[in-house]
Amino acid sequence: MSGVKLESIVKAYGALQVVHGIDLEVEEKEFVVLVGPSGCGKSTTLRMVAGLEEISGGELTIDGRVMNRVAPKDRDVAMVFQNYALYPHLDVANNIAFGLKIRKNSKEEIAASVDEVAGILGLTDYLERKPSDLSGGQRQRVAMGRAIVRRPKVFLFDEPLSNLDAKLRTQMRAEIKRLHKRLGVTSIYVTHDQVEAMTLADRIVVMNDGRIEQIGTPMELFLNPVNAFVAGFLGAPPMNMIEATIGEGDTSPVANFAGGQLALSKLSELQNSVGRKVTVGIRPEYAQIVTEATLGSVACDLDLVETLGSEALLHTTVGDEPFVIRTETLDKMDTLESVTGFTAQPDLIKVFDAKTGLALSGQTREA
Amino acid sequence: MANLNLYSAGDKRFVIVNMILIAIFTVSTMYPFIYIGSLSFSSGFAARAGQVILTPIETTFEAYKYILSQRMFWVSYGNTFIYTIFGTLCSLLFLIPGAYALSRPQLFGRRFFNLMVAFTMWFNAGLIPFFLNMRDLGLLDSYIGIIIGFAVNGFNLILLRNFFEGVPSSFEEAARMDGANDFQVLWKVYVPLAKPAIATVALFCLVSRWNGFFWAMVLLRDEDKIPLQVYLRHTIATLSNDDEFSATLIDAPYSVETVSAAIIVCSIIPVIIIYPFIQKYFEKGILMGGVKE
Repeated sequence: MSGVKLESIVKAYGALQVVHGIDLEVEEKEFVVLVGPSGCGKSTTLRMVAGLEEISGGELTIDGRVMNRVAPKDRDVAMVFQNYALYPHLDVANNIAFGLKIRKNSKEEIAASVDEVAGILGLTDYLERKPSDLSGGQRQRVAMGRAIVRRPKVFLFDEPLSNLDAKLRTQMRAEIKRLHKRLGVTSIYVTHDQVEAMTLADRIVVMNDGRIEQIGTPMELFLNPVNAFVAGFLGAPPMNMIEATIGEGDTSPVANFAGGQLALSKLSELQNSVGRKVTVGIRPEYAQIVTEATLGSVACDLDLVETLGSEALLHTTVGDEPFVIRTETLDKMDTLESVTGFTAQPDLIKVFDAKTGLALSGQTREA
Repeated sequence: MANLNLYSAGDKRFVIVNMILIAIFTVSTMYPFIYIGSLSFSSGFAARAGQVILTPIETTFEAYKYILSQRMFWVSYGNTFIYTIFGTLCSLLFLIPGAYALSRPQLFGRRFFNLMVAFTMWFNAGLIPFFLNMRDLGLLDSYIGIIIGFAVNGFNLILLRNFFEGVPSSFEEAARMDGANDFQVLWKVYVPLAKPAIATVALFCLVSRWNGFFWAMVLLRDEDKIPLQVYLRHTIATLSNDDEFSATLIDAPYSVETVSAAIIVCSIIPVIIIYPFIQKYFEKGILMGGVKE
């Protein structure tokens, strides 16, 4: 079973601890994405799995074997680097074959493996080219070729798409997904791009400040974030956050805030929290625009409309706080400029404790 | 279509002044070459009379005939090749792994070692201690002494080290993940990447070895081991006082001056032949070693 297990993994540079006891179990053939803001420790964690950083504490096992003191070459993992790290003096074929040559595989075996990998990645016509003669996407494929040719137990990806332009990134994202389906190798992927995380992962690990905030499937994390950080990190544009106080409404609890009032779900946790300071989270796509004040709507001042084609982003302010609404444009373009407020379905509003940032219990929603 | 005038009068004046300065510099650099070449092809009488200024006077190959007939010329020429080729190889053998090791952040005592290397660029023990050191090591009057004694130079080491430091660490990490050990990382990744820097350092070593004169003069006693530059000095210093040689000059078409010039011409020919082949690396290497990318 070629899974990866991290138990209380710690990384410290002298007195400075940057990864604080991470526990994570990556199942065999699973695609796990570590995501988080810059400096959250996700790359460091990946590099510890690779063996490029020493593990300061805890235990790392790959395929059931403790790897803390095992050299990178003996861990049977392959890594795709952010800057590709292709050897500029070698052509594509030799870049892919480098690891096999070092391991002294036979010439016939190397040639067959390189041909196979080049076929999978569409590099057959470029085998004799140097990296400098390739486009960004082709270089990225060579970097992946170099990783898959060794048939390692685990693939590690360190922000492999961040040097590509937006279009190519989307294309390569799909290729990585396809490749994972085809090869079924356990993969750990690091990115700060939540779209990559959402689209690629079987499970996402959201990290912040050297700790894991939440682990779950993309939809679990999207619908049921455990705290305001995860809620704000996943989703583009990010979830709107409004500081509010829970009050007693006519039929259900309400959130009172500077710009108005919103009805919340009839959850006992909320009903029992009247007067509690909370942060109310509303995803931009879950806010419904209104052009006239209606019962339960919240007034907002329209600041700017960004048209994306099928959708538009409405930048508004509620009270003094910025609030973004994502809405479809079809048959609505004329009304966008006259938006005066929004409504939100109570069960789609997330409520977090203002102090701890933790989601109030009972708000779980099925994907 | 009207000509676009992209340059102001000030720009033009600047270019003209630059051209004049470059021309003066070029002439002042080229003239010694031209003068020595012309002198070596001139007659001894014209050379002694100071008539040679730009072109050969009373053109003759006699100075070359004379030196090419001298056994010591060929012996010293051969020695120079030995010192240059083996000296450069020996330098690279020490410099490449040394510079690589000094460039690695994980090297224990890295700062101290780097400081010690830089220290040798500012201070050295001086002539007498170095001579005594070589004597005590039994390296006086030997090929090995000249080859090994000057193999490592702080400047070259730092130049190469800077280049290695500028190589992104992901190359090393990728190679390690692929299963490479330290030696393989150096040999299969860093050395090919550092070709321009290595060529630059090799050229520095070649030129300094080829022109090496002072230490060879101090450390070598056996005439059969001296390099060409020492032979040249020997020729200039001794031939003028050599009665036998002076006697041949009475009716010879060469003189001490033309013979010396001919030796100089012979000594610079190999460098002139080699330089164009490594010039491209040389220019790149200077830039790469000095600037971290």
